[in-house]
Amino acid sequence: MNRALNNQMKHFDSKVFPVIAILAALSMIFAAPAAAAPAKHAAAPPAAALPSASTAQPQQSVAADSDKTLAAMQDELDRSRQRLELTIAGNSEPARPYYIQYRVLDLDVHTIVAEFGALISSTSGRNRIMSVDVRVGNYNLDSSNFISDEGFSGFLGSTGTVGIDRDYDSLRQDLWLATDQSFKSAVENLSKKQAFMTRLAKAPSIPDFSPATPAVSIDPLREPDWTTRNLEQEAKTVSAVLRQFPQLHSSRVTYHLIYTTNYLLNTEGTKIRANRSLAAVEASLETESDDGMRLHNFLAVYRQRPDQLPAADAVRKDLQLAGEQLITLRVSPPAADYDGPVLFEAPAAGSLLAQMLGPSLSGARGPLAMQSSFDQLMDRLGGRSEWTGKLGTRVLPPGVSLVDDPTTKQFAGQDLLGAYAVDEEGVKGERVQIAENGTLRKLLMSRRPGPDLNMTNGHGRAMYLGDPRPLMSNLFFTSTEGQSPADLKKKFLDACKQNGNKWCIVVKEMDNPVLGVREQDDLSEIVMGAASGAASGDRLPLLVYRVNPDDGSESLMRGARLAGLTLRAMRNIAGIGTDVTPFNFTQSQQAGFSGTALAAFGSADSGVPATVIAPSLLFNDVEVHGARGEPGRLPLVPPPPLN
Amino acid sequence: MIRQTGAAAVKTFNLAIVVTVFSVNAMAAAGKPAHRPAPASPPQQAAQATPAPALVTLGQELDREMPILSKATPAAYFIGYTLTSSQRAEVMGSNGALLASEENRSRWLETQVRVGSYDLDNTHKVGNSAPGQGSFGVAVPVEDDPGVLRRAMWLQTEKQYRAASEALIKISTSREVQAQTVEEHAPDFSREQPHVFYGPEISVNPDRKPWEVKVRLYTRAFRASPQILNSIVTFSSLGENQYHVTSEGTRLQFGQVHYRLELFIQGKAPDGMDINRYYNFDWTNPADAPDDKAVLAQGQVLRKELEALVAAPLVEPYAGPALLTGRATAVFFHEVFGHRAEGFRQKDINEGQTFARKVGEQILPSFLSIYDDPTAKTIGKNMLLGYYPFDDEGTPAERVTLVDKGVLRNFEMSRQPLTGFPRSNGHGRRQIGAQPVSRQGNLIVQSSRAVTNAELRVKLVEEIKRQGKSFGLMIDDIAGGFTFTGRGQPQAFQVQPLVVYKVYTDGRPDELVRGVDIVGTPLVSLTKILATGDTMEIFNGYCGAESGSVPVAAAAPAILISEMEVQKKETSIDKPSILPSSGHDPKGARP
Repeated sequence: MNRALNNQMKHFDSKVFPVIAILAALSMIFAAPAAAAPAKHAAAPPAAALPSASTAQPQQSVAADSDKTLAAMQDELDRSRQRLELTIAGNSEPARPYYIQYRVLDLDVHTIVAEFGALISSTSGRNRIMSVDVRVGNYNLDSSNFISDEGFSGFLGSTGTVGIDRDYDSLRQDLWLATDQSFKSAVENLSKKQAFMTRLAKAPSIPDFSPATPAVSIDPLREPDWTTRNLEQEAKTVSAVLRQFPQLHSSRVTYHLIYTTNYLLNTEGTKIRANRSLAAVEASLETESDDGMRLHNFLAVYRQRPDQLPAADAVRKDLQLAGEQLITLRVSPPAADYDGPVLFEAPAAGSLLAQMLGPSLSGARGPLAMQSSFDQLMDRLGGRSEWTGKLGTRVLPPGVSLVDDPTTKQFAGQDLLGAYAVDEEGVKGERVQIAENGTLRKLLMSRRPGPDLNMTNGHGRAMYLGDPRPLMSNLFFTSTEGQSPADLKKKFLDACKQNGNKWCIVVKEMDNPVLGVREQDDLSEIVMGAASGAASGDRLPLLVYRVNPDDGSESLMRGARLAGLTLRAMRNIAGIGTDVTPFNFTQSQQAGFSGTALAAFGSADSGVPATVIAPSLLFNDVEVHGARGEPGRLPLVPPPPLN
Repeated sequence: MIRQTGAAAVKTFNLAIVVTVFSVNAMAAAGKPAHRPAPASPPQQAAQATPAPALVTLGQELDREMPILSKATPAAYFIGYTLTSSQRAEVMGSNGALLASEENRSRWLETQVRVGSYDLDNTHKVGNSAPGQGSFGVAVPVEDDPGVLRRAMWLQTEKQYRAASEALIKISTSREVQAQTVEEHAPDFSREQPHVFYGPEISVNPDRKPWEVKVRLYTRAFRASPQILNSIVTFSSLGENQYHVTSEGTRLQFGQVHYRLELFIQGKAPDGMDINRYYNFDWTNPADAPDDKAVLAQGQVLRKELEALVAAPLVEPYAGPALLTGRATAVFFHEVFGHRAEGFRQKDINEGQTFARKVGEQILPSFLSIYDDPTAKTIGKNMLLGYYPFDDEGTPAERVTLVDKGVLRNFEMSRQPLTGFPRSNGHGRRQIGAQPVSRQGNLIVQSSRAVTNAELRVKLVEEIKRQGKSFGLMIDDIAGGFTFTGRGQPQAFQVQPLVVYKVYTDGRPDELVRGVDIVGTPLVSLTKILATGDTMEIFNGYCGAESGSVPVAAAAPAILISEMEVQKKETSIDKPSILPSSGHDPKGARP
């Protein structure tokens, strides 16, 4: 988010921001729990004030290099832990922090944007941001997980940009002020929270914070390599291929190259310096059909490291295909209403699962909010975990196994986007068997306990120092009952005939409007529409084909929308393929929408990378709505020559 | 208001609200247009005969669009395109370390389509509803590519035309249009002569490396003071070429350069009050950059002021004589007079203070005259940041006499006419992405009752005695409404005295006080000016208002006011830090 500010916003070029701006009020409520979320449930150590200094400093060693970041963090952390206290009127004991956590994120980002072969912008910049979390109280009841009626006034100051020199003095100065702010806010928050809880009939019993095993992991100091490829030239070269489609109204090809170093230190003894990176090619293509329907296509390629990005030739071919698809879509017939079997080919199935399952994988509970509107908003945006309280019950078809595993680094020879060693709370990532033989076993956990589970399993994830939340990493959806793609297709066509349909529907690609749509008004409308329909199972497909059940011939349709694809529908999946395929995407962190359906629509500059590895899926009963609404008027002036 | 420091100077922010904050700041970042050096009377002087390729392309697409849209229903009667090509670099340091060092190039296209007629068009304001006009525009290739630029123009034109058509239909069917006041019945767009001017294109490529060393050096020096909690020094350079074409025949191309160095420090008084000090250097010729000695010396002045303010007592409520130094006066006039003389405010029924019906009336003492002169590049050796040859509607800048010998004569006018003021005088300005409205350029206050600054001080003491007061006030620095904080929304007209001394009549030294708030309407103070000093002082800054942030200058001599009422400002509830900073911790930095 911060990098977008530096590199994108100067060009008004980030598409997500205006959407969010429209949701400003909303985002504030969502963003508020930056240090606030769940509560209740038993069992967590009552934890006295602070762990002793000895537990806070295990075997760790400061890396022997010029980076003074961890040293500055350690010294300021120790000084704060030992000496920060605030006397509160009426209390004999002064308030002291029981937990302090420092996070610093070093961002080195290069963003290149090209359109039809011409460079729109090329920006690079290094920034560092910090986030300080000071908690008062104890693990069972602390200053977090609470949204007071004053919104987030108390949060100002605990985050901010800091110097990029990796020096000692300036970082201590910045951490000192942020710690002071964060501590004072925590004291105030806890007293407000306690006052609020006295008004509740039943105080929440879920603890506020789960203990975690301290982890120490210091990656070597790394200097990003920007020199191996001329990506500016590549962006121009690949985007020029779209010039052959004069029917396109606009196009954008963006190369995102992101190197980060994440630092984390806490009073429990965790000490992390972790290098990460992400590289992406994202493209949007827009046009209009002759009857005035706005249409788009997109391309998204994600890799862990910039040098892994496909060569220009390969990207150019992909863009050419995307262009051809959109041109075909332009002249294809509008979709009609439909009710019946729908086959989601991998990787469209992966995208569908990302949207459908995402919100329900989290076992953390929401924050205690003084206003109930928060819960309602979460619901409306598909943020309600429907799997809460369902451990041990069947939630998926028999034979299906659902595993989230950040420790698996590769699949079929390809690096997986969601792999990591430690999460954003400094906890080692664990393989989690979410469902076994269709039965729900576990949920993804951060250090924020939930109604069903207390302990973290290393899934507290965030980008740009956002509030860590349980998010998927590498999600594997497999079945012992899988069928070959040919068998699945046959099953689908048979179901089709049996149903008496003259034609049926195959979805080959799901939409990501955040990547595909540049016009802000359109994007806001689409994204909000999709998010508000998430609870009732509305999903946005991109490439939808009509299939003739007799001869299997396929033809594109435009303007279709899917409905009724709720989590319940997952229990009755009619067929599952064996063609497991990775689907890479980034889960949006914009304004804290993680954990809602909105989060499924992300972009490289704003998201938490993840991979869903899933096969083709057949649903027997899906509603498809055809194109709705009046088509727009066509431009009065014909397009100017592009070449 | 004058915003002394860019929002970027505020280092600490809440990530949670970064989205909202930066959608605002994005404009600041991409903006800062205008003030472009070019020949003093541009239309007469064809500096460079050849139009740039970008300008040619703009003209070509305009010539294709206009014939079609002018025959559509409703008909477009005006289409204008502005392409702004920017090169910017920024180097920021904080507390002795580098915060950021970045540069980028961008080109931004803005499109305006007006439907209806000059007398009644889609921008017509009905009641409280301002019809949405224009958009932020769109980024276009930084290199000349006629095909891609024209495609962007085509899409934007279509979008603007649709929005304008819808707006006009709503307006023409509105019953309220029938019942509008005299002010509101002025035409919506003024008729102007087209202008053709091809100036030389400029280019700026500063070496950021030396500045990275400098910003570390300058901010490290502030670490010596325990009272300075945070320091930010920012070097920025901006080179901007603007290309402007309209269906009326205007073809403009001109470039401008601006370098700036800003010093900003923050502290806290024992009661929690935030204390900030700020200073900026501005120059257009790289050779005029301030040297280390000059910057460090200015840093020491800021440090001393901040330390003195941290220790200073709070002001007590007071009404009596006050002397404003030239710099403070300049800001004061910009805020309390200059904004009210912006033409578009006279039309807006929401603006409480209107000058519309006061033209020809005495509003200031007769020894004061005020003009706004964007054609002036300097006063003495000082550059004026509000200089530009053409405004953002393509109208040549003009020197406008706003007040002549105390009598209100004119307004800063854009192409939005007022009854009795049918023409623009070249003050239609905007930050990139916003619609131009009438704004200030270089606001200059002149006095025919000037005494030396030393004599003015004597007069202050005399006035204090005459009124039987024990002390008077000397105000040395004033901030505009939104200075420093970068949070919330701009509030035009607000003034906040920052450096205020009590001046005694018995020979005691002046005493610094803090927390001064001006009571009542500051405008009233302007009628109570007794005399002025004889030395013009200049304030350069970025002024934020309805059309975004634009570079401006204000120049004025010191003034003596017979009565100004002040009160104690409410203090922040944010108390000083519990621990001292590690660099000044008596118990040692390391635990």
